[in-house]
Amino acid sequence: MAMSIKTNSRLSATQRYWELVSVLAGREIKVRYRGSFLGVYWSLFNPLTMTGLYAVIFGAAFKKYYHDSLWEYILAAFTGLAVIHFYNGSTAQALTSIVGNASLLNKIKLPVSVFPVSIIIANTFQLLVGMFPLLVIVTFLLSPNLSSFVNILAIPLPLTALLLISMGIGFLISSLYVFFRDLPFFYELVQFVLMLSSPIFYPAEIVDPIIRPFLELNPLYPVIESLRQIILSGALPDIFLITRALLSGGIILAIGWICFNWLRPKFMDLL
Amino acid sequence: MEVISFDRVSLWRRTQEEFSYDIKQTIFSIASGKYRVPAKKLIIDNVNLIINAGEKIGIIGGNGAGKSTLLKLVSGILEPTVGKVRVRGNIAPLIELGAGFDENISVRDNIIMYGVLLGFSRREMQERIPMILDFAELNDYELVPVKGLSSGMVARLGFAIATDVQPDILILDEVLSVGDQSFKNKCQHRIDKFLNGETTVLVVSHDLGFIRSSCDKVIWLNRGRIEFIGSGPETVDRYLDTVAV
Repeated sequence: MAMSIKTNSRLSATQRYWELVSVLAGREIKVRYRGSFLGVYWSLFNPLTMTGLYAVIFGAAFKKYYHDSLWEYILAAFTGLAVIHFYNGSTAQALTSIVGNASLLNKIKLPVSVFPVSIIIANTFQLLVGMFPLLVIVTFLLSPNLSSFVNILAIPLPLTALLLISMGIGFLISSLYVFFRDLPFFYELVQFVLMLSSPIFYPAEIVDPIIRPFLELNPLYPVIESLRQIILSGALPDIFLITRALLSGGIILAIGWICFNWLRPKFMDLL
Repeated sequence: MEVISFDRVSLWRRTQEEFSYDIKQTIFSIASGKYRVPAKKLIIDNVNLIINAGEKIGIIGGNGAGKSTLLKLVSGILEPTVGKVRVRGNIAPLIELGAGFDENISVRDNIIMYGVLLGFSRREMQERIPMILDFAELNDYELVPVKGLSSGMVARLGFAIATDVQPDILILDEVLSVGDQSFKNKCQHRIDKFLNGETTVLVVSHDLGFIRSSCDKVIWLNRGRIEFIGSGPETVDRYLDTVAV
């Protein structure tokens, strides 16, 4: 062992955090796809199949709410599913990320939040490579003119909101799971409620007007609304909808981060 | 120069006496008025300690005396409830070998990940890969997933990565040598190098012979308190006197 080893460059806390996140997210992606690049496109299999299923079963009944166009219904369902699919996948994986690395946390001092964060980052990579190009193509095909470029540039904004929401929920549930090990059971129920209450495969119009305002309490609702407006409407992006989606993301992230930090000092006793 | 200091350090931890912690039971016990705040137990009791650079410290004591907990306080995994722990320099925990591996990715990727977990950059680890593979004698296995290695090979890899660097403070918790006899000798040689060098070493072990001969100073812990601190032979003898039947 050479003495030059002594000069091991000590990383700053931020650098170390970034190194950890990228190495853990990289592992996540590698394990999932075994290095084959095409593997990422398997992540489209589920939302595409679901879209087909909804079209076959509900298409006939619901297309009258979409200018009598089955195609329009399919695209609306698909954009909604893209959002919920990312949300469900990333938060369910984040849920177990802290407890799953308990043995490591007991051996090495690590910033605990790298585990949920790296899961969300890995899923974001998957979204950017798999789903994002598809959304861009749809946007362009629906209104093949110059102004659709503005819409294409705006797609990342509601997706950022989605990312913030998933990150916030990821922080919240991964820290709660340390204390409540039956959380996955309850979280499945929460996921189902979110799925059903965000108008993905049905038009919001069919819901009783008294109930409808409650749907908007769903943090994913403004994200889906904004994404649909940008991709499907053919009009310029609605700044109001985008702002509302981002606001929803910011609030959820803040709540998640505060809970996470409040619970963190108590983690190690139960890991 | 002092590198580690404990200033009136105490640590309380949840006892984990509950069999499970879940939402159902918590709601149930609150509803039936039986909920109580989880009990806490004093694990480290008012410890004062100063360790200077280059000292080789042994920690002995019965099971549950708080030896491993003390090391966790040093490495910052646990924060003291009362008092202050100060540590100067970078710490290399010689962790339970293989705890940080992901067996689905290659040996090469594992070396990088393990190194980053220990606090190095990816680039630095890439430069170290040949040296580590060399020491672990796993040159032919660079691209094989870790699940394809035998358990002895995994342990060798863990040891090679964790000791490839010369840390300021080395923590050894009951892991001294692994693998077959020839690799054991190599490990011993490397550990001796740390013990004879500048590095500050903290060892927890039940191997009292090793502690007696290789440590400058031995701490005897008993139920979270320091019972005695002294030279190797003196502390070990006193400890043995109390446990003699």
